[in-house]
Amino acid sequence: MTAVLKLGIEVLKMKEDIICRCEEITEQEIIEAIKNGATNVNEVKRWTRAGMGLCQGRTCRRLIERILARETKTSLEEITPSTYRQPVRPVKIGILKDEKE
Amino acid sequence: MKTKFDVAVIGAGIMGLSTAYYLLKEGYKVVLLEKNEIGSGASGACDDMILLQSKKPGISLEMSLESLEMYRALSKELNTDIQFETRGGMIVIEDQEQLRVMEDFVSNQKKYGLEVEIIDKKDVFKKQPHITEKIIASTYSTKDSQVNPFCVMKGFLAKGIDLGLDIKRNICIKEIVPRKDYWKIILQDDHYIEAEKIVNTSGAWAAKIGDMIGIDIPITPKKGQICVTEQIPQLGETNVWSAEYMVAKMNPELIKNQNPLFKELGIGFAFSQAIHGNYLIGSTRENVGFNKETNYEALKLLVNQAIKFFPILNNVHIIRSFAGFRPASLDGKPIVGEVSERKGFYIAAGHEGDGIALVPITGKLMADLISKKHIYYDMEELNIQRFNKKEEVEKSKAISV
Repeated sequence: MTAVLKLGIEVLKMKEDIICRCEEITEQEIIEAIKNGATNVNEVKRWTRAGMGLCQGRTCRRLIERILARETKTSLEEITPSTYRQPVRPVKIGILKDEKE
Repeated sequence: MKTKFDVAVIGAGIMGLSTAYYLLKEGYKVVLLEKNEIGSGASGACDDMILLQSKKPGISLEMSLESLEMYRALSKELNTDIQFETRGGMIVIEDQEQLRVMEDFVSNQKKYGLEVEIIDKKDVFKKQPHITEKIIASTYSTKDSQVNPFCVMKGFLAKGIDLGLDIKRNICIKEIVPRKDYWKIILQDDHYIEAEKIVNTSGAWAAKIGDMIGIDIPITPKKGQICVTEQIPQLGETNVWSAEYMVAKMNPELIKNQNPLFKELGIGFAFSQAIHGNYLIGSTRENVGFNKETNYEALKLLVNQAIKFFPILNNVHIIRSFAGFRPASLDGKPIVGEVSERKGFYIAAGHEGDGIALVPITGKLMADLISKKHIYYDMEELNIQRFNKKEEVEKSKAISV
């Protein structure tokens, strides 16, 4: 087999599904972070940026919790969820403008 | 479980990881102990700046300059892209009084070798086309740089593990007992670790570790709240701070803003773009203990600062807020060195907002101190001993404007 073909097969075997759509982080990258010791959603976020995008993990945090549970063979209830912070959704700065100033 | 080490480093934030790495490089057997996760304190909740211009002329600035040079070589050394970038920095000036203060500050910094100058309004607009008409001048330095703290931590960790680092996460220390020539660290589960030396790198929590061996470490948490914008193109050539930010940092009593909340929250405008395009709008400096909430009042003041300086931000979204505890020492300088009445117990903490800038140099200094190498700096100036002389503290507070 040529080297290129071998590489192609390796790539196909990788879990290329995108989990965090905002930051385009794949399942493979998340699994990699877990292998390197991440045990909760915040750690996965710090190491991969999954959940740091425009939607702030609203789409992916549940998926990441499941991947964590599966990879670390822990029950879903024991996975620490990510920190929630305001704003609940993106807010245009102009809306917060103080008219007095 | 391995129990005997040369050095136990307590606190796996960016300072602890750096300290562990430079010790390992000297050949020591090192264990790194962490209560939560890696970087779960201030290191994971800060901005990304190696801001030289905000450093007090003197040892802090000298160390930052050396640290910057160390950062330049670090991607290669750690075999990890730490996303080092040099964009330069500007501290924008709104009135004549600020101009006088900054002129003084700049000329002092120049004496310590920082390349920095004051530029006029016309030149400010060349570099910051979106800035408000209301500013009158700005400082400018080409040296101010940035790194991604997460990548720096990743790099130190990976390289540390290669060099034999033992890391224990999610552990709780119950007791630290001095023995004849080593320390016994007893963990919550009654396992224990023996180490000849301990380095306390636990940032805002440093005083809690100090309590365990009966010493008073004058470091308290200062909460810094920061807003994150969506990813947008670069607005200007450099990152930007307000002269008021410098005042809030160096001498909060002098904040002139009429809004009492403004003063109470210690607000100064810091505006830097992270590598992925998000701008960080900071920051508060609050004495509220270990309360990590972000609140609407503070965020509102922060974004209003931002649109005051950059009206174009009216149309930009904020997507997140976060807060971290800056470990603030009594005189604004870090505490780095051995505790003389507790041989073998070292402190490397209290860097407040200067942590990221001082990471490589602090780790290196700790390794040099422990291996008794010659050190260029006057380490007495950073030793905890300095707080024993009360009048010295008052004096240093007075000069620090």
